[in-house]
Amino acid sequence: MPNEHARAEPLLRVSALTKKYGDSKALDGVDFSLEAGEFLTLLGPSGSGKTTTLMSIAGFVQPTSGDITHRGKSITRTLPEDRGFGMVFQGYALFPHMTVEQNVKFPLSIRGLPAGEISRRAESALERVQLKAYARRHPRQLSGGQQQRVALARALVYEPEILLLDEPLSALDRKLRGDLQWELRNLNKESATSFLYVTHDQEEALSMSDRIAIFNQGKIVQIGTPSFLYEHPANLFVAEFLGKSNVLDARILGPDEENIAIDYEGGVISIPRSQVATSATGAVSLIVRPHKLRMRPPGHGKLAAKVQAISYVGNAVHHLVRTAAGAPAIIEQVADSALYNPVQGSDVSLHFDVDAITVLEARGDCRKRLAATTDPSPTAKDGK
Amino acid sequence: MIITPSFWFRAVVVIAIMVMVYLFLPALIVIPISFTDRYYLSLPAKTLSFAHYAALVTNPMWRDSFLQSAMVSSVSTLLALTLGSAAAIGAWKMGTRLKSVVRMMALMPLIVPTIVGALAYYRLYIHLGLLDTFTGVIITHVVAATPFVFISVSAALGNFDERLEHAARSMGARPLHVLARITLPCIRPGLISGAIFAFIVSWDELVVLLFVTTRNVYLLPRAMWDGINDNVDPTIACVATLMILITLVCLCTERWLAHRNGN
Repeated sequence: MPNEHARAEPLLRVSALTKKYGDSKALDGVDFSLEAGEFLTLLGPSGSGKTTTLMSIAGFVQPTSGDITHRGKSITRTLPEDRGFGMVFQGYALFPHMTVEQNVKFPLSIRGLPAGEISRRAESALERVQLKAYARRHPRQLSGGQQQRVALARALVYEPEILLLDEPLSALDRKLRGDLQWELRNLNKESATSFLYVTHDQEEALSMSDRIAIFNQGKIVQIGTPSFLYEHPANLFVAEFLGKSNVLDARILGPDEENIAIDYEGGVISIPRSQVATSATGAVSLIVRPHKLRMRPPGHGKLAAKVQAISYVGNAVHHLVRTAAGAPAIIEQVADSALYNPVQGSDVSLHFDVDAITVLEARGDCRKRLAATTDPSPTAKDGK
Repeated sequence: MIITPSFWFRAVVVIAIMVMVYLFLPALIVIPISFTDRYYLSLPAKTLSFAHYAALVTNPMWRDSFLQSAMVSSVSTLLALTLGSAAAIGAWKMGTRLKSVVRMMALMPLIVPTIVGALAYYRLYIHLGLLDTFTGVIITHVVAATPFVFISVSAALGNFDERLEHAARSMGARPLHVLARITLPCIRPGLISGAIFAFIVSWDELVVLLFVTTRNVYLLPRAMWDGINDNVDPTIACVATLMILITLVCLCTERWLAHRNGN
């Protein structure tokens, strides 16, 4: 029985983690688990609790309540140096008074390994990040990208089970970031180490992760694979944080057999239950991704709109439109002269497939706006 | 046009140089006097003589006081360095409120006027039996020198990234190991300049010395003080020259290290 239990236990489990600073809650009941070999990203805006979560796992922040277990054993009160995790910091945190080689050897010498093995392992770690030639340099003599690779080599040289990464690419330029994303992904897949990665950059999260946990105001609002989160956001925060979303105010009229009838600016449509991620009745939001929204000549689509601005981004063209009721929307289409390309100021008609739509609970201010249009009472206006 | 220094800037530079000369000349006059060929304080008459420098080594009074001073200053520097850096590192790790209390305490000896401190030591040492003992003198020097170590180590810690300590601990290093292998090497310039300042403070302290010592502990500043009162032996000019030289070497080393670290 205990054996069976151990097998079911994930590599790392965080349960009901809460951290209070005075009256404010930096973490408010965070729950998730990290599986062996997984690349899990904690994504969220600054102050959402993702870094506090990482620092609690590393042992530098003591949670107010909740538990962190490693292979079923609680480590919540364990000292950072006894947890055995690897860590890569924002700004690299290389030891400036040591050479690259000494930096990489440091964790091995602490473990009291024989000198021969230390040299051998440090060398192969530097080789893995293509920095063997720089072994005798000091960190300040390296570029940002090279320093980051030294930090990675140093954190992986003792083969920790879990590597914690705190916005490791945020100080690098865009091109270098892209290269290192591939490298990180490969290091994760080649080694037995699980990566727990903190970032506020949604592109980074989408391109590298096996799973993403999205943080907002000290809570995980949704966790899942990148494609699942992108296709099936659980709420407006996720829909807008992960990629661009067009949000249309709508109202649930009521269910019929398989579908739910929804009234929005373009009329009443019938949407399959599986695409309605809310149990709310009344005011809701319709979500359409910009590349799923299309423009047609006036009268040929579902919703009248006017083109406000056009922006060319190389492989695509973005049209910013405003519907007759005043809702803004962005349409992304491939740059192709064969497509319908209305000019600025044109009247168009917007079209979308019903299966491209997700229905989410409306945000507070949407609900107010809807209330204001349907019920023009003075209190509703004041509240706006 | 804008790059050309203005008239006022030039005027300030000239005045600054004049003030420096005014302050320095009386001190530097001891250098030619130390080479005098006569038996009283005077400028050299016919030739330059090293006789009085020789007296420094041969005269047991000067030699012993020099050695005593060197011993007291070295021990005081070591103790002040230990206490001052421990206080600075401790304060650095503390919460904001406690930090300001520790800071206040560590800098207190700078605020109390020397003469008040001297009287206090005198009254206290009568009861403790520490008058005219090396222990007593070293305690006064350590108290006077510790704030200088605290200031320079705190400044060095201001540039030290706490994440380096976190990184070392995440790799499995115990706190003492982190201190020895990461923190102290990184703030070494601050430790060195703190030690140099501590040595200088201890090396030429006189006021407290006059209160708490008589004949048993006989340090260089005391010997000079007595020398200038009792006779006009030019050896005192040699001692003064050496003290200027040692202080200058200390300060230049400190500046050089600070500069090198800055690059």
